Amino acid sequence: MNLTQGTADPRPANPVRVVIVDDHAIFRSGLKADLGPSIHVVGEAATVEQAVAVIAEQRPDVVLLDVHLPGGLGGGGREVIAGSAALLGSTRFLALSVSDAAEDVVAVIRAGARGYVTKTISGAEITDAVFRVAGGDAVFSPRLAGFVLDAFGTAPADIADDELDKLSARELEVMRLIARGYSYKEVAKELFISIKTVETHVSAVLRKLQLSSRHELTKWAAERRLL
Amino acid sequence: MATIPVRPPLARSSDRVIAGVCSGLAVHLGWPVKNVRVGMALATLAGGAGLVFYAWLWIMVPTADEAARRNARRPASPIAPAVSQPSGPGAFAPGIASPAVQAQGAAAADMTAAPLPGPPSAAGASPLRGASGSSTADAGQPEATPWFRFRSMKYGKEILLGCGLLLVAGIMIAQMLGVDVPLGTLIPAAAVLGGASIAWMQLDETRRAGLVDKTKADQAGGWARLAAGLALVVAGVLVMVSGSGSWEQTWLALLSSVAVLGGVVLVLLPWALKFWRDLESERAGRIREMERAEIAAHLHDSVLQTLALIQRRAGNEHDVVRLARAQERELRGWLFQDPGREAGQLSDRIKAAAAEVEDLLGNAVEVVSVGDAAMTEAHEAMVQASREAMFNASRHGGGTVSVYLEASEAQAEIFIKDRGPGFELSDVPEDRLGVRESIIGRMKRHGGTAAILNTGTGTEVRLRLQSAGTDAAEGKP
Repeated sequence: MNLTQGTADPRPANPVRVVIVDDHAIFRSGLKADLGPSIHVVGEAATVEQAVAVIAEQRPDVVLLDVHLPGGLGGGGREVIAGSAALLGSTRFLALSVSDAAEDVVAVIRAGARGYVTKTISGAEITDAVFRVAGGDAVFSPRLAGFVLDAFGTAPADIADDELDKLSARELEVMRLIARGYSYKEVAKELFISIKTVETHVSAVLRKLQLSSRHELTKWAAERRLL
Repeated sequence: MATIPVRPPLARSSDRVIAGVCSGLAVHLGWPVKNVRVGMALATLAGGAGLVFYAWLWIMVPTADEAARRNARRPASPIAPAVSQPSGPGAFAPGIASPAVQAQGAAAADMTAAPLPGPPSAAGASPLRGASGSSTADAGQPEATPWFRFRSMKYGKEILLGCGLLLVAGIMIAQMLGVDVPLGTLIPAAAVLGGASIAWMQLDETRRAGLVDKTKADQAGGWARLAAGLALVVAGVLVMVSGSGSWEQTWLALLSSVAVLGGVVLVLLPWALKFWRDLESERAGRIREMERAEIAAHLHDSVLQTLALIQRRAGNEHDVVRLARAQERELRGWLFQDPGREAGQLSDRIKAAAAEVEDLLGNAVEVVSVGDAAMTEAHEAMVQASREAMFNASRHGGGTVSVYLEASEAQAEIFIKDRGPGFELSDVPEDRLGVRESIIGRMKRHGGTAAILNTGTGTEVRLRLQSAGTDAAEGKP
């Protein structure tokens, strides 16, 4: 994973350029007010088409992306990521959702989003998450960690950590702690590892979530016509 | 009942020479495709019977794609596509089960809604154990018992029909071989018997179908009524014609009219089927419309009322937050709940306890659950203990409380974490029963463990319960 930024403090020197994609104007303005001063909102969009256009024009560092969006072919946030596939190297997507449904969340993650947070998140937390995603890390909410544990099972992989369909013992521990509401820093302290190692584990889990062919995950993908 | 083998549904396969009938049949019966093809060819030589059978299956059996679509068709909702899918963190396994299993589950749910013995709760819990990677077969198993009963009754009609046809064929062969069959008495008797049994079947069908599904009732009843009417008409015509002429003439007339009728049916069948499908899709549209109306009514009753309340209490931030959280919970429960899964499991109880604490104190309590378990007495104690822990965390911690439940049939763990100032158990006076009695004592009495830790940034309560048989070990680090 691309861990170019300082990982102990994920805040980069330059302000992060952000595009907010959400169909609720009230939510967009609220979110804009919540984001810290070192985050510049360079564009907003309310539909799939607008979002793809704005992202292509602005080339932001991070896109805050609602999972459910009108327009396009009905694919919502997933379709925006697919439409901006050429920028996936430089632009990172952070999914925002009120939805509790696993298939929605997993669909955007598998499309290429670097994380998922719920819309009830506080201003400080969302700011932190934006910096983290801008730095190339993955952002897991407790709920997403719960989904991952549910999908991959809570038994560790027997052999190599490399297997895509299972989580290693360490990754499971990290996911469990995140599901329990621990921040990355607290996870690091609890497991006696560095924050950078925690981030590496989370990124590895994200990669597995995106690439695994576990039938639970491919089933969701097939239902959302991702394959 | 349990000895009925589970066969894959009969569907025309994509591995086809003509229409995929033979390979589909082979998959369904578990026979080699070659045997089925050769058998079909041999049967074709026997007076074209194979050809007729093939054509029949071609018309009646859906392709694999159609079958999957039909099974996967679930009520859609305009709010979110996710609504119609079973979801929520605790209900993964039903959501990932194959469409066929989902259909089973839906049928089973309907059956259990009627006063029928449901699956034993211990077995019924296993589909929710998605965390341990249970396969789709596991997920479908507990529902199998009621479903099979439903199915064997449904196929009873087909079996009866087959027996009747075989009987007719036997009589015809006997006649061709020169045996003198007393048709004059046999046919009216058969007509009467057939009519009676069809009428009985119709009655039974409508009653049972009415329990299972209202819309299926008119469809099944209509077919039965049609068949009964046909049988009666044929019998009547037969008696009339046989009164005026000889049996040879009657036979000839009957044969030619059957031939003409058969020809007409053959020509009209595609149109009839098309018409039937249009009707089906129209009916599906009506169901969607009804569902939309139901959603609108629900939103009006709950959400709009809450919004009105919020506007009137806009000055009191605490009340507004509490109302909003309560409404959110209610709406989520309504939208994302999987109707197929069993209610009253451990995760539901923990969520209910969290909601209660949230309502009482106004601080958010976020529950993440992985897996699930059926409630036992010890689990009940665990729910009470975690409720106490949530209450303490919410009151003393002051912020959002994170609750994580990981459960299987073997063991359940609950973690309740807050970000408050934290406290040491040794600092709590002896006479304060809250923590010592309601959490630690309660867990110990039921063979579980409880640990309270100061994590530096708050307090975490860890509850652990292993099912009977295994010794409760010390809580995890």
